[in-house]
Amino acid sequence: MSTRVATALVLGSGLLLAQAIPPRPENLTFAPVVFKTPLAKELKSKLKNGISVYFAPNGLEGTPLVRITVGWRGGGYLDPKGKEGLAQLFGSQLVQGGNAKLEPAKLEDRLEAMAATLTASCGDTSGGISLQVVDKDFDAGLELLMQSLESPAFSQDRLDLAKRQARQALSRRNDAVTSIASYQFNFLLFGQNHFASADPTTASLDGITREDLKAFHARLYHPANLVVSVSGAFDKKAMLEKLNRSLGTLKPGPEAKASPKIPAPDFPRAPGIYLTAKDAPQAMVNWAVPGLRRSDPDWHAAYVMNQLLGGPGFTSRLMKTIRSNEGLTYGVYTSLGAGAHWQGDVVGRMQTKNRSVAYALRLALAEMQKLKDAPAPEDELRVIKEGIIESFPSQWSGRQAIASRFAEEAIQGWTEDWWADFREKIQAVTAADVQRMAKKYLALDKLVILAVGKASEIEAGDSDHPGAFKDVAKLPFLALPLRDPQTMLPIK
Amino acid sequence: MGVPKVLLGGLTALIAAGALPAQHLPVVEKTLSNGMRLVMVERREQPTIAFGWMAQVGSANERPGITGLAHLFEHMMFKGTKTLGTRDAKRDGELNDLQDKVQAGIREEMTVLREQQRRGGIPDMMDPKARTPRLQKLLDEYDALVKEQRALIVKDEMDQIYTQAGATGINASTSQDRTFYIVSLPSNKLELWMWIEADRIGHPVFREFYSERNVILEERRQTLESRPGGLVNEAFNAMTWMAHPYSWEVIGWPSDIAQVTREQANEFFATYYAPNNLTAVLVGDFDPVKAAALAERYFGRIPANPKGVPQVITLEPPQPAEQRMIADVETTPSIQVDFKAVPAVHQDGPALQALGGILGGAQMFAGRPGGGGGRPPTGRLHKALVLEKKVATNASASFRGQKYGGLFALRATPAQGRTPEELEPLLYAEVEKIAKEGVTEDELQRFKNATQVGLYTRLESNTGIRETLAQALAVGTVQDFQEAPKRIQAVTREDVQRVAKQYLVRDSRNVLITHRKGIQKLEGK
Repeated sequence: MSTRVATALVLGSGLLLAQAIPPRPENLTFAPVVFKTPLAKELKSKLKNGISVYFAPNGLEGTPLVRITVGWRGGGYLDPKGKEGLAQLFGSQLVQGGNAKLEPAKLEDRLEAMAATLTASCGDTSGGISLQVVDKDFDAGLELLMQSLESPAFSQDRLDLAKRQARQALSRRNDAVTSIASYQFNFLLFGQNHFASADPTTASLDGITREDLKAFHARLYHPANLVVSVSGAFDKKAMLEKLNRSLGTLKPGPEAKASPKIPAPDFPRAPGIYLTAKDAPQAMVNWAVPGLRRSDPDWHAAYVMNQLLGGPGFTSRLMKTIRSNEGLTYGVYTSLGAGAHWQGDVVGRMQTKNRSVAYALRLALAEMQKLKDAPAPEDELRVIKEGIIESFPSQWSGRQAIASRFAEEAIQGWTEDWWADFREKIQAVTAADVQRMAKKYLALDKLVILAVGKASEIEAGDSDHPGAFKDVAKLPFLALPLRDPQTMLPIK
Repeated sequence: MGVPKVLLGGLTALIAAGALPAQHLPVVEKTLSNGMRLVMVERREQPTIAFGWMAQVGSANERPGITGLAHLFEHMMFKGTKTLGTRDAKRDGELNDLQDKVQAGIREEMTVLREQQRRGGIPDMMDPKARTPRLQKLLDEYDALVKEQRALIVKDEMDQIYTQAGATGINASTSQDRTFYIVSLPSNKLELWMWIEADRIGHPVFREFYSERNVILEERRQTLESRPGGLVNEAFNAMTWMAHPYSWEVIGWPSDIAQVTREQANEFFATYYAPNNLTAVLVGDFDPVKAAALAERYFGRIPANPKGVPQVITLEPPQPAEQRMIADVETTPSIQVDFKAVPAVHQDGPALQALGGILGGAQMFAGRPGGGGGRPPTGRLHKALVLEKKVATNASASFRGQKYGGLFALRATPAQGRTPEELEPLLYAEVEKIAKEGVTEDELQRFKNATQVGLYTRLESNTGIRETLAQALAVGTVQDFQEAPKRIQAVTREDVQRVAKQYLVRDSRNVLITHRKGIQKLEGK
């Protein structure tokens, strides 16, 4: 093949035109691509004090950058009642608030002088501090990272600024249907008393002090909570030594504790059709049914089922029906939550003009029902399964991505070898499995449906496809008031 | 700058002395016999290839009445070909013709409604309640044709073939200047990409043409109209560009999207999607010599358009006076000042980029490390307005150069209890300081280093390289891409001061001030 093409190139286009192009793409044949699943244990080392480090030094290609992230288990779930937003502020202020050696402006100046970036953030269950620096400046950069990690100062001035910014962000909560749907749906799925729905309020932000941030830090900064990933231009052996000399010497302080288990929500969900009124040209629609955890033996079959129903791209049934056939939305997707800490959900989402909400939802629910009623045709199943398997190597693109995926999975507590037989397990999924999963998990009587948009138009539906919103499923219908963006209390 | 320079002397001097080296990237260029260009970068680490091909056409090539047409192709190009997407090509073609006829009738009725709307008889011609009986009958006829065709359609077959082959990131995007079709595939699928893309460039069929217009109207609602301030931004942009087609949004005006015809689309395609207006970008695990030969075989047989592509003639005239818009929007108040500047490849582009970096913060160019959270910019505006005066919660600056023009933007969000009007003179004062006193050598070197680091971060992955190359090719050449780091390094303090004086002047500025609509108390304390 290669000789022929090279010759053809020399002889010019006359000969090339004579070469046949196969009539259909199925006539092409492809040499196999060999891809070995990266294994966490091949990247992992331990520091003297037990902290895991995932190393991904540059291979064939790469730039002179080094990236290191020290991630932690711990976050918003540890916020005391009335101090919602503490973990989030801790994350932003760990670097921005300066440290015992450098006040914020000086730290920023040092970083700028090296064209380095040092950032930190903290979410509901985990967070991390990350440095990106040119390899020649790595030692100086690591020193700055360690100073911030060890002895953050939480400058009052910067904390005040962060609070001003956070309050402003609160004031935007009711500006868009997407942000309204996001908080409403969390309340519907997790209730009032779980961290997943516990958003900061003006009062909770006001109550957070530097002492709270310091206490949060003192408790979190424990070797048992930390996992490191490092990628880019470095020598692994030398890097391990540097990390052992710095982070490897960390001993837990008197206040430090291994972060406790992340609590699952204890909330009896009320299936129903919920509507929040917001004057907007297009509605946001969310729906959910309980799913499973990634560690469940059903996972791979359920994963294929979800890809078939509402996976990414245009190949899913929901996209074909609701976007491509009916032109009702720019995009409609379902996702299968991995359930790192408790059972995940199958969550659907789309945006459509207000009057199309009822019809588009009826179509979506009908597609869910069809998956339960009949096994998927073999052709369709093959496209979905091969798509997952063939695209598997590109899920691991970039050495940085590989290292940080393993570090994140370690923080979430997943088993290390989970991906090793992923492709084989997907390959083994049958049409009967998919139907079984649909029957087991797409429980239409457990649906929580939420639409946020112009209520009168949503409720009435589309005259071209008659049917009221409240009738899309045999479930109770409830109007859900907006919440005050400052207090998160329902507006009467 | 408020930071005692003495304290960090040693380190700063060391960094400032040495510029960071540019990264060498082996870019191979090749032009096929019909004028189609290939730009290739071989990278062997992973068994994947990031593919893309660009039509040098965007909303700048449109005119009133067909706004949004360039973007419509981004959708239509996924609808199949003579081979892909149907079980019966003959009947499929007949049904397309019949649909066109019914749509011609629908357009006659829409003309009647447009006239009624013009005279105030109906408020909105798109409202189903306004339909005439004939229009309703035609719509029903059209629906029946669509149903018949749907039975023959192999839904999104191209997407299915790609998906089954392990594709990721199947997508397309349209800007004012170009339309770009991308996909990443395992490296053994090089020929599959050639097959599919040559087929859809050579023999496309714009199936489901009329219903796709509804998807685009939903896209417009989602990405523009539902966004707080979206419609105001559209209006502000339309005010800013008084003559140039950059004045309308890429997605187009709703009236035009709803009425565009297949005939208009065919003509647009024949003009702008000829191979002599196309550039393919391939990055990853393949042999460029073999790929070029294969490309000649697949794409080389698509005939060129000997007439070439019409030039975009309209030049934005110098703005004779400042323009202002004051709007109530449903979000936090803000101020945005857009100065008319220069196209991306203009020789003053790098100096304007430096000015943006120094005012707005070089960190904006340094990219984000994985897993990190946001970091505020540390430019002069941030230091003055956010940290020192505490009157804003955010202040930034940037230069955005496009193919035919560019804007230099200042933006700020007032702190609670402050107004955008208070911030405006403070923004200008920082610009004025640079116009009068210039910038420091240290600031400039930091900007240059941050820009180089930003470039490293963009050139780390196949897709990153593809996007960076495409961005350069949309407005210039491979040479522009290769020389960009050198041009940044060549910027002097004098250049920065000069462009601040030359471009950031009152008459060429466009000012958007927004206040929160409705209940002011929601802003809090």
